[in-house]
Amino acid sequence: MNAKHAFKLWMLGLCGMATLAVTPILDVAPAFAHGERSQEPFLRMRTVNWYDTEWVGKSTKVNDVTELKGKFHLSEDWPRAVVKPNRTFINVGSPSSVFLRLSSKVNGTPMFVSGPMEIGRDYEYVVTLKARLPGHHHLHPMFAVKDAGPIAGPGGWMDITGRYEDFTNPIKTLTGETFDSETKGTATGIMWHLFWAAVAIFWVGFFMIRPMYLIRARVLAAYGDEILLDPIDRKVGIAVLVFTVTVVTIGYLSADAQHPVTVPLQAGEAKIKPMPVKPNPLMIEVTHAEYDVPGRALRMTLHATNNGTQPVSIGEFTTAGIRFTNKVGKAKLDPNYPAELIAADGLTMDNEAPIQPGQTVDIHVESKDVLWEVQRLVDILHDPDQRFAGLVMSWTESGERLINPVWAPVLPVFTRLGA
Amino acid sequence: MFRTDEIIKAAKLPPEGVAMSRHIDYIYFIPILFVTIVGTFHMHFDLLAGDWDFWIDWKDRQWWPIVTPITAITFCAALQYYNWVNYRQPFGATITILALLAGKWVTIYAAWWWWSNYPVNFVMPSTLLPSAIVLDIILLLTRNWTLTAVIGAWLFAILFYPTNWAIFAYSHTPVVIDGTLLSWADYMGFAYVRTGTPEYIRMIEVGSLRTFGGHSTMISSFFAAFASSLMYVLWWQFGKFFCTAYFYLTDDRQRTTKVHDVFAYATLAHSNKATGGKA
Repeated sequence: MNAKHAFKLWMLGLCGMATLAVTPILDVAPAFAHGERSQEPFLRMRTVNWYDTEWVGKSTKVNDVTELKGKFHLSEDWPRAVVKPNRTFINVGSPSSVFLRLSSKVNGTPMFVSGPMEIGRDYEYVVTLKARLPGHHHLHPMFAVKDAGPIAGPGGWMDITGRYEDFTNPIKTLTGETFDSETKGTATGIMWHLFWAAVAIFWVGFFMIRPMYLIRARVLAAYGDEILLDPIDRKVGIAVLVFTVTVVTIGYLSADAQHPVTVPLQAGEAKIKPMPVKPNPLMIEVTHAEYDVPGRALRMTLHATNNGTQPVSIGEFTTAGIRFTNKVGKAKLDPNYPAELIAADGLTMDNEAPIQPGQTVDIHVESKDVLWEVQRLVDILHDPDQRFAGLVMSWTESGERLINPVWAPVLPVFTRLGA
Repeated sequence: MFRTDEIIKAAKLPPEGVAMSRHIDYIYFIPILFVTIVGTFHMHFDLLAGDWDFWIDWKDRQWWPIVTPITAITFCAALQYYNWVNYRQPFGATITILALLAGKWVTIYAAWWWWSNYPVNFVMPSTLLPSAIVLDIILLLTRNWTLTAVIGAWLFAILFYPTNWAIFAYSHTPVVIDGTLLSWADYMGFAYVRTGTPEYIRMIEVGSLRTFGGHSTMISSFFAAFASSLMYVLWWQFGKFFCTAYFYLTDDRQRTTKVHDVFAYATLAHSNKATGGKA
């Protein structure tokens, strides 16, 4: 390799490094989601069926308190591939800690630690949040299952305005002191780290000021270590040893005296009772289901019986946080629910008439929208267990909402029927 | 004060050679050795003990004092072998932990604070510098790696908890949130949302080491000391394995023998008697 060739290689390398260095400056785009669409459809459809999710206070100022709340049903069709929810935790999916979590309650019970939940039952959660980092943030409720991982719920946007510098979170401890979670312990920790780094640098520096490697290797090889083991090293070593052990002891005793009342880390198990089972006069069973690939539609045949005293109208089918509604369900939609997760006219039925008391009907229901593709739920066709689950919502004449979990195997339809 | 002149004389290098050796010392020590340890050991440590070191709500009385010293003593022992056997330099462990902490603090400010916006107190690392200094000094004083494995490694682990209590004692202050008793560390772990780290991931006093009258910390520290001692021996041997040049020597009678002495290689190579390379 001649000098010219080496120069060329250097220049190429420098250009490459310059490109790499400039790229992040030119194109720094924030991440706007958490990869929830990459979770397999069976995870999103057949584990947690989220409903009534609310992002209270979509715009807040730093230090404002708001809530993320809603309900979920643990599907009876829980996949075999997913560990049962014997140890679970309600979490928040957010880009770092943009909100501080002040409290998290499931069915009114605080959930600081994980606990078991029951398949086939419903739970209501309320997470109280304190705005911390200004920005436009995408938040999900999350249901984490030990050995299965986090399962993301629907994502909604929440804005925080103001300055992070104004954020404080003072909390009074049981010993009567007030700690700010942003700063408490930082100065002490840095002080100790710097102190021990200084002692360590002194120790290494004590040997650095003398020949370190090459010369010592030659002498060691030629004469052994008698010359190398300087008596002053032992003396300084003993002094540093005594100093170190003394400072560790003083530091320990002093911290102990400063914080005489302590408790170990707390890690028990949350004991959460599910919501009481509400009597539901409507019985629904799926007798057939197919997914029309080109038509982007899930078609179900529902075998429904109304055992109640009032006519019932089906208005919504929801799965994986996505809501397919007809005109009945559309009228009940929360206007703050993310529009990108709603197919407002996506639910059609061959018989729109209310199911009369005592009547048993077979209804062909189609939930059709491009959302099946956008939300990557069409990937159900690639699952090893091609089934779906979700919730059918219907309303009685008096406005009472009935929720029926449904589930069934799905048959794929790869060509347009009748085409 | 030092024997420097005597050592330089024994090295039998010309003055320019001595000057050059110092340049090599500095170039090798800071940009090469130190940075290499930062890169390799930081990653190694974080893969094995990372969560215990990142999060304040992982630092329990049982697993934190066990996992951290046992993981940290590995490279310390190997680097001690390298620095002591080849150069009689007693700072292998100290430089290892200094490099680890350099990597840690870069991560704390670059990744945890600047990138992820977690407050520094939430991700404050523990320190093992006093333990490392003591380990080095025990090697210097005993000049014996077996004794260092017994005395030094034990002190390395035993000193860990009291050293760090000075930093983290406050985090065990009790607070009551929603009628529930928590330590301050638990509260921090709950308040600062970690999307991918649900609460059940933590290992808090799981196991039977605490059954002796509830003295979890003492029992854990002594268990860590015992395990660190074994780990020290293992990694000293790793250091030996990776620092030893194996080559084959063919003598005048064409007899080939395996030679393990790294210093002999240089001498023999100069006299053109070494015919093989590193195995």
